[in-house]
Amino acid sequence: MKSIRTALLIGASSLGLALAAQAAPMDLVGPVSNYKIFVAKGVDRLVTTTAAFTAAVKAGDLKKAQALYAPTRVNYETIEPIAELFNDLDGSIDSRADDHEKKEADDGFTGFHRIEYGLFEKKSTDGLAPLADKLNKDVVELQGRIKTLTIPPEKMVGGAAALIEEVGKTKITGEEDRYSHTDLYDFQANVDGAKKIVDLLHPLTVKADPALSAAVDKNFAAVDGILAKYKVGNGWQSYDKVTEADRTALKGPVTALAEDLSKLRGALGLN
Amino acid sequence: MNKSRIILGGVAIIALMVAVGGATYFMARHPVASAPPAAGASPAASTQGAQSATAAVNVNVTASACDPNELTVPAGRVTFSIHNQGSRALEWEILNGVMVVDERENIAPGFSAKLTTRLEPGDYDITCGLLSSPKGRLHVAAFDAASAKPSQIDLIGPLAEYRVYASYEIDALVDDAKRFADAVKSGDLDAARALFPVAHAHYARLAPIARLFPDLDRAIDSSASEHDKKEADPGFTGFHRLEWGLFAGSDSGNLDPLADKLAADVVALQNRFEDFAMNPEPTIAGAADVIGKTALGRISGEADRGSGADLSDLQANVEGVKKIVDLFRPLIARVDNPLSLALAEDFSTIDATLAKYRTADGAYKPAAHLSADDRAALQNATKKLAGELARVRGALGLS
Repeated sequence: MKSIRTALLIGASSLGLALAAQAAPMDLVGPVSNYKIFVAKGVDRLVTTTAAFTAAVKAGDLKKAQALYAPTRVNYETIEPIAELFNDLDGSIDSRADDHEKKEADDGFTGFHRIEYGLFEKKSTDGLAPLADKLNKDVVELQGRIKTLTIPPEKMVGGAAALIEEVGKTKITGEEDRYSHTDLYDFQANVDGAKKIVDLLHPLTVKADPALSAAVDKNFAAVDGILAKYKVGNGWQSYDKVTEADRTALKGPVTALAEDLSKLRGALGLN
Repeated sequence: MNKSRIILGGVAIIALMVAVGGATYFMARHPVASAPPAAGASPAASTQGAQSATAAVNVNVTASACDPNELTVPAGRVTFSIHNQGSRALEWEILNGVMVVDERENIAPGFSAKLTTRLEPGDYDITCGLLSSPKGRLHVAAFDAASAKPSQIDLIGPLAEYRVYASYEIDALVDDAKRFADAVKSGDLDAARALFPVAHAHYARLAPIARLFPDLDRAIDSSASEHDKKEADPGFTGFHRLEWGLFAGSDSGNLDPLADKLAADVVALQNRFEDFAMNPEPTIAGAADVIGKTALGRISGEADRGSGADLSDLQANVEGVKKIVDLFRPLIARVDNPLSLALAEDFSTIDATLAKYRTADGAYKPAAHLSADDRAALQNATKKLAGELARVRGALGLS
């Protein structure tokens, strides 16, 4: 009798402890608002850098346009969990040739990768001016829409996993920047964007699930460590120089990171 | 040995609570699987499964179409099972206009994936393969009364967005209070008088939450009547003390320390806001209070202390409150659509009336300029608005 009562009491109190460790929903208000400010600043940078990039395209300055392509794009990739919520703009800014019926020849194929195709595959700015104008208009439109967007907490928390999962599953093949091979810029931007989310949530995660939090930190360090090997000056090594074996070596840690990140939503009570 | 018995006891309690349906919330977040294998665990898990799992809605996606192409589901939590029958990796999205409501990316050809999401009533598109493929339709039926009530999680997004708004307003307040203080100190009193309503409007927009910092609120925004010795009280500082000096008094030579103090106090507010834990109840109560307690005094002009900034302040108060209402509007509409519509109507009456008194430079004429009709229209609209705002908290199920 006594042992049952003790068990009940201890059981009840451990249940109470478990609930206390769980993040209260309102604890997410601060991180979500700080993430919105981060995204708003990111899209401001995207607008400024896109203006310079497209000006180079329109001026016919091939070398400068090629040089600005990757550093401009990273501003989209860092905020991708939010940017891609706008289906029409994500399609016109960041779709790949494969998303379109006639691939590169499709009139609906616009945005960064269509311009990339011109600059790096055709090695010319010919005919790119209207595409440059459209890209400029689209990122300004994105900036306006982000300003009035209420970010659902699930989209922020789930966004970290989605970013890294996409790197591990599709981007790792080099499909994203297939003409310029600047994929490593995008990878780092995706990792930075996911890391920002995780950092903002850190005080909650470390309370709700310390083991998961430690595993995520460790995985980020592993991925950062591998990426750092390909750093060349202020830029990154061309992805076509990264061997199949090296890509495989990257895939493991990226996949492990994505799997851990996918547990964040549940850990923070958002499933 | 002893320890494992205790753990077993805990699991048994959880199993019991789940069996009576009382711990679904807890179970969803602390799966029994994380406890050591125990006899009590498996019935608990299966009970939980039976309670919350509704059959997944199946969607087959080929290279160019969804099958079925038209779906109807209930509002709230829905699970979709998406089967990629095409030949390339699939991204399946639920769209509200151009907005992605939710999505499941990277479904390999021949594979299936599940997507669990919360859906509001309405009509949505679903993507089916290529960007050019015709989209399918998803109809989400209306909420029943029980499921319409917002959850705590539903409140996070709107409140976070209000925190962003407040944080930008505080930054602007810090900048403009500094410009105002600098003008006072440089002796350029015309510039200072012109900057007063601009700087103060930021604070008026923040009114619903500014009162949650009572010491700073008193230092920054108290009126003379709140102090023992009125205007002569050394504790009377902030915007209205400077206003009195600039517009009514003859002691402008003594304003420098007051200007410095105001500039420092708004920086203190900015710093304290960094760690401020925002909650829905005081925020919404604050919004109701701003309209219920301060708006009428501004319309009558009674609160004027010489600057004639009443209508500018009223506009700013209303803007700050409207921001909160706009952010919570989808939730208010879900539980009480007539209330949501009435709020919108009052805001548009107030905006339209005040717009008539806006001057070319964006400032406002003093409240004394209000025509009798416009004054009555403003009074009626703000009284009605105050009454409706007082009902918002209850409508959202907040204490």
